[in-house]
Amino acid sequence: MILVILWLIQDLLTVFTGGGMQIPGLFMLGLVYGLLFDDGNDDRSLWSIWTAFAGGILWDLRWIGIPGFFTLGYVVVVLIVIQVWRIIPPQGRESGTGLLVFVLLECSQLIPPMLPVLILGGRTGWNYFLMQQAYSLPAILLTMYLYRRKVRNSKI
Amino acid sequence: MHGLTALILSLFLLGVSTGFGIMKSVVDIWGAILYIPEYPAVEMREVYLRLRSRSRDREQMIKEVEKLREENAALRLELVKAVGEKIYSDDVKSDTRTARVTLRAPMSWWSEIRIDRGSNDNITQGLPVFSNGYLIGRVSTVSLMSSWAELITSSSFMIPAVIEETRELGVVAGDGNGSVMLRYIPAGRAVRSGMRVITAMIGEQLPPGLPIGKISGEYTNGTDGYAAYKVELGADLSRFYTVNY
Repeated sequence: MILVILWLIQDLLTVFTGGGMQIPGLFMLGLVYGLLFDDGNDDRSLWSIWTAFAGGILWDLRWIGIPGFFTLGYVVVVLIVIQVWRIIPPQGRESGTGLLVFVLLECSQLIPPMLPVLILGGRTGWNYFLMQQAYSLPAILLTMYLYRRKVRNSKI
Repeated sequence: MHGLTALILSLFLLGVSTGFGIMKSVVDIWGAILYIPEYPAVEMREVYLRLRSRSRDREQMIKEVEKLREENAALRLELVKAVGEKIYSDDVKSDTRTARVTLRAPMSWWSEIRIDRGSNDNITQGLPVFSNGYLIGRVSTVSLMSSWAELITSSSFMIPAVIEETRELGVVAGDGNGSVMLRYIPAGRAVRSGMRVITAMIGEQLPPGLPIGKISGEYTNGTDGYAAYKVELGADLSRFYTVNY
């Protein structure tokens, strides 16, 4: 449910800014945030993959017009996060992974919008991509903060 | 396995969806469904754009007014140069009577003068005194046969004045040493050398529109955001033997 709300917020913000400002990928941040608490449950991974697929396809239908761009990006990100996160043992995830969490969250903001730019090209596309990266940074840092806080609270 | 399936499906969609005509319909339907939840954002955007546009229009109008004011001031200066500077001072000259300066003490050289007209000649306290058609002071003390006039250069002389071209209001004040400043003009205004300074309508003691002089190039910017411009007096206070009142 929270992902539906995040998707809608992302959509509404994009409508509000009218494309003048690139909105951070809140939906993917929420999805990756959830995966960071993955305890190796396959059902959760499957659910995440198909949620990313659905979210991507709906985003493509709304904003790109050609399904596949963001769908592919979202799925790739989810697969990367699942694989990388599973390499680290659960005991090691709680400490010293700040940089890794940042990288994974950054992946969720870097890969999906990069695919359309790489495929379609164009200088404007790159400008928008760079702008989005700048706007995404505060959202990534906020998500990191929420993650650290939740981990800290769960220890207590 | 699921991950691979999702990847292949995504690539498949990417590869073939452009060829499907039905995809346009799907996009339209999805857009129509989202129309309802997106409605508040669309409305908010409209309001925001309207406000921004209004604010921009206002800023543009202010800029345009400033530009026109500057242009108007420049044209007025040109007009004065072309027609002659004594339009106003001639009016003053024609409506006044003449008095002779009978005393100008060295100790109060820039502060006061005595003239040979008094209450017998209908002189009253506060009456403006002119030289060469420009205001040089006002009557401060009246006797039967003579009067004292405080000069515009006196340090206690302060009157509201206005720059005629820009309508900026300020206070004309003497410094007791032969100079007169127009004070309290907001810094950064388009005040130029040569603009005319006249008495302001808000003055209680002197009628409005009496010519005083013109702005000279010198000015000082105060720390309070106001500038003081030196006024080049229309009358020559170093060389006058008679005055008009």
